[in-house]
Amino acid sequence: MKVLKYLKPYWWLALLSPLAMILEVSMDLLQPQLMSDIVNNGILGDGDAASNLSYVVITGLKMLGFSIIGCLGGIASAAFGTTAAQKMGNDLRKAVFDKVMHLSFQQTDKFTTGSLVTRLTNDVTAVQDFVAMSLRMFVRTGMQFIGGIAVILTLNVNFGMVLAISMPIQILVLFLILRKATPLFSVVQDKLDKVNSVVQENVTGARVVKAFTREEYEKGRFDKANTDLMTTNLRVQKLLATLNPILMVVMNASVIAIIMIGGFQVEAKAMMVGDVMAAITYITQILMSVMMVGMMIQQVSRATASIRRVNAVLDTIPAVNDPENAVTASDIGAIEFKDVQFYYPGFSGRPVLKDIDLKIEKGQMVAILGATGCGKTSLVNLISRFYDATSGEVYVNGVNVKEQSIEELRSRIGVVLQKSELFSGTVSENIRWGKPDATDEEVKQAAKIAQADEFIMGFNDDYETMISEKGASLSGGQKQRMSIARAIVKKPDILIFDDSTSALDLSTEAALHKALKENLEGVTIVMIAQRIASVMRADKIAVLDDGQICAFGTHKELMQSSDVYRDIYFSQMKNEEGENNG
Amino acid sequence: MAEQRPAPQMPRVMGRGGPPPHQRMAMPTEKAKDSKKTIKRLLSYIGKNKYLMIALLVIMLFVTLLNLFAPFIQGMAIDKITISENRLQVDLEGMVYCLIALGVVYLINSCLTYCQGIIAAKLSQTTVKIMRKDLFDKISYLPIKYTDSHQHGDIMSRMTNDVENISNTVSQSIASLFSGVLTLIGCLCFMLYYSPILTLVSLTTIVLTLLVTTNLTKIMRKYFPMQQTLLGNLNGHIEEMVTGYKTVAAFSKEEDACEEFNKISDKLCKASIKAQISGGVMGPCMNVISNISFLLVAGFGAYFLIIDFNPLALYGAMTVGTIQAFLQYTKNFSRPINEIAHQYAAIQTAIAGAERVFEIMDNPPEEDFGTDTSFDVENVKGDINFKDIEFAYVEGETVLKEFDLWIKSGQKLAIVGATGSGKTTVVNLLTRFYDIDKGTITLDGQDIFGIPKRKLRESIGIVLQDTVIFNDTIAQNIRYGKLDATDEEVIAAAKTAKVDVFAEKLTDGYDTMLTEGGGNLSQGQRQLIAIARAVLADPKILILDEATSSIDTRTEVYIQEAMLNLMKGRTSLIIAHRLSTIRDADKIVVLAGGKVVEAGNHETLLAQDGAYAKLYNTQFAGIAT
Repeated sequence: MKVLKYLKPYWWLALLSPLAMILEVSMDLLQPQLMSDIVNNGILGDGDAASNLSYVVITGLKMLGFSIIGCLGGIASAAFGTTAAQKMGNDLRKAVFDKVMHLSFQQTDKFTTGSLVTRLTNDVTAVQDFVAMSLRMFVRTGMQFIGGIAVILTLNVNFGMVLAISMPIQILVLFLILRKATPLFSVVQDKLDKVNSVVQENVTGARVVKAFTREEYEKGRFDKANTDLMTTNLRVQKLLATLNPILMVVMNASVIAIIMIGGFQVEAKAMMVGDVMAAITYITQILMSVMMVGMMIQQVSRATASIRRVNAVLDTIPAVNDPENAVTASDIGAIEFKDVQFYYPGFSGRPVLKDIDLKIEKGQMVAILGATGCGKTSLVNLISRFYDATSGEVYVNGVNVKEQSIEELRSRIGVVLQKSELFSGTVSENIRWGKPDATDEEVKQAAKIAQADEFIMGFNDDYETMISEKGASLSGGQKQRMSIARAIVKKPDILIFDDSTSALDLSTEAALHKALKENLEGVTIVMIAQRIASVMRADKIAVLDDGQICAFGTHKELMQSSDVYRDIYFSQMKNEEGENNG
Repeated sequence: MAEQRPAPQMPRVMGRGGPPPHQRMAMPTEKAKDSKKTIKRLLSYIGKNKYLMIALLVIMLFVTLLNLFAPFIQGMAIDKITISENRLQVDLEGMVYCLIALGVVYLINSCLTYCQGIIAAKLSQTTVKIMRKDLFDKISYLPIKYTDSHQHGDIMSRMTNDVENISNTVSQSIASLFSGVLTLIGCLCFMLYYSPILTLVSLTTIVLTLLVTTNLTKIMRKYFPMQQTLLGNLNGHIEEMVTGYKTVAAFSKEEDACEEFNKISDKLCKASIKAQISGGVMGPCMNVISNISFLLVAGFGAYFLIIDFNPLALYGAMTVGTIQAFLQYTKNFSRPINEIAHQYAAIQTAIAGAERVFEIMDNPPEEDFGTDTSFDVENVKGDINFKDIEFAYVEGETVLKEFDLWIKSGQKLAIVGATGSGKTTVVNLLTRFYDIDKGTITLDGQDIFGIPKRKLRESIGIVLQDTVIFNDTIAQNIRYGKLDATDEEVIAAAKTAKVDVFAEKLTDGYDTMLTEGGGNLSQGQRQLIAIARAVLADPKILILDEATSSIDTRTEVYIQEAMLNLMKGRTSLIIAHRLSTIRDADKIVVLAGGKVVEAGNHETLLAQDGAYAKLYNTQFAGIAT
């Protein structure tokens, strides 16, 4: 229950809420007693009519007074409890978000972004609701239960007998049914997930479903998942449908027993009719609170799952941290890998990168070429310290990355990711992400270099056009060019392209290269690419094969020395044609 | 009015205690546009199980009646021990009879409640199932245009959240409304029966109830939507920042993201506190009102008892039993009013949800005028002709204009062109994902509009740039191309597409489960699976839309041979950025401005020294301009 420490700053609110609730419940508990007084001493009173009536009125007003106090207590309890829970939830949410923002890539990957989003939204809310409920309902139910028993026993000890029989039965029934139902809840959840996943696949994969004319097949798949869900749901609900009537039978039998016992007691003059009426109210209250406990047990089990999931995030120690004494950069723009090995955490077996030794000088343009899954992205991610090397060291700007402040390190690096992520906002806001104080000219200039200016000017509101839904309305090439502009406007010393020109057609890409060369002098460029044409003009080309650098040099050198490079070259150029260039 | 199961979930059990207000009130009150029509339609859905519904209504009627009857007998029992005349003359025997009667009533009631629970569960579950099925069937046959132009998250949320909301409302809200109204009427009858004058007294507090509820609802209506909007903003921010965390980190924007988050979160916290408190006030206030009502009834009851005044009552004179029973009815009377107020928001949300669900259902399905049932997929030759095509996705923004293209049977045709020149559009039109505005497309001389869509698509195999991977094993994902394929066929297809290279390295081999996003595979590996799928489908016409863009060129060379084999003997349409992929094509067409500007094979086009030559040279010469 580590999350509960977030309640600490609001301990006084958290304490006042149950206290106020005690006030409310005590007043509630007094009511039936007063009611019974009204019946016993007022309506059936021994005095004359006028004094009986005045007794009714006076006791009634007392009752009203108490109930108003109770009401105020209830409102205060709601106010304190809600405030405490909301504030705590707010702090918790902020803490989790802050943590998520500072996780390293591998940690985020491990959680998966989808799950992090649910943890931040649903789970935090579940914890918050749980706290709000506990503060009030636990106390309320407990008091109604204990208080009710106490009062009913003072009315007549014989009523205790009824309780002694009915309560264990109720608890047993609750226990048996809930024990059967609780595991079913998670089964229902699984089946629901299954339904959702089929729908998701069909919505996002509509083209493939249609292209293979698999509509009927998909309908069958959905039908199965849907029917499964319904059957399981029905099973749970049928089970729960027994709960209500059984508990009611027990409760009503208790009421009958109370009247019965009461009747004999009244005849024996051991008690008054009013007390019987009060006892009916109390026993209903007591048995109701037993049912509430059942409800709350379910709530607790749900909340514990959420608490566990939130805790898992909070307990994660960010894998990549700032050093205690940051060293300032000396040789800006230079990058060096020294004997770097890299394994994905948790993945034993083959390393992703092995024996990497690579030196990139300031102002150089280095291309990285290699097969799918050979570790290119992992290699460049080490530069920005999105991951830390398993062994070996990475030097950027002349200093070991682990000895630099992460923020300073990343501020010097512009990264264009493989998958362009845009945010909601205008085009210029998106580009300005790279440098919040960039002038309009700077934004436009960056867009020009990125070959984005032309299509942006074609939008209705040019740079003020709103980008919705992560750029769903833009083509892949447009998104990539905007991401490139975003990295350029930052005026970085090192610019990294992680296969981020793949959606550009060849002439656009060529124009981009030309503009980069002309405008970004002195900037070190590391570029991952698939196309030989994209890399041929680089100062140096590193060929990655199976996690190792198998060749490093200029195009000409590699054409002579590297089989792998020649292989790639010919796979794209084929034979003689390519050779008159280069 | 319709029925429904009295929440088989437990909340109903605690009905008397009142639900924790924040749980029910936390629902956003969405405004429905045409509630009446939507409700009617919703009811017709529930009405599909007519007999279940009638049975349920009848049972509910009895349950409510018995619930009303019980206090009546209880009152009688108490009266037996308090006959007033000479005070405390206890009729024990009479009491026992009453109690036996009471026990029988309770027992029958419990049995009926059980039946009600079962029937209601069945009704609501089947209703929801039918609704989900209808919705899914609809989605399956919606034109691609719909899925292209609507947010997927939104469609998903209609299928899950909205249907779920409807189900909850159908099962809880409508049930409590129905029994609430019945109880209300019944209580009133009994109250009038006992004592019209006391009824009048207790009704005065209803005015108070209405006053408080309307005022509180007014406040809640202000803060709850505010809370909901802020929650939406917050979730939007979370979604964006968390899914885009790589970019956030790359630009060191963590602190900014946190700051923005804290700002929204604080605002939400404030609005929520206000909303929740205004919701939490309801319960205690209702308590006071019901106590006032109790007090009034007890006070006036005592007074009338003393002066023995009970005009117009059918029950006869005022007795302690009358007052006891009357007090219970007063309590029962205020409960449904409370509940209806509570349910209001939930019902509004459900109606809005139903509206959103019906909105999808009202979309026209994909049109299919293909009537030529004699069209035989097996005999397709694959001669495709686009004639004078005009097409626009959005009116006024023509993508293809005066577009002509003839793909001969068995030909390998490649389309090249700049981003946005309309290459993919050609595919969209041929498969009839979209329909042309003008012109004709023929397959083997027959207008494709005359061919049933199903058959048309069966004759075309397609591999897309954005591969779709299903939440299933590798083998099953490949088998999607031909559902009845044997394991051998699947493995053969996998070998052809070089899937075997990585699949066999995995611990579970072809039985490895893939996640829907394909997160455990690289983009290139996913494309290989999609190619294997097409290999297995063995279509007459093959379309490769940037199918190998994420496969590195060396791997591509490996599968080149397989691709060549695959394309042999069928009409193939290839779209690619990489010229190496298309150089072997029989014919290459260059698209620009929605038209074919050049056509020919590699050599002739190079010799022409036009657009193609320029593209080609940029690729090979790198930055050679």
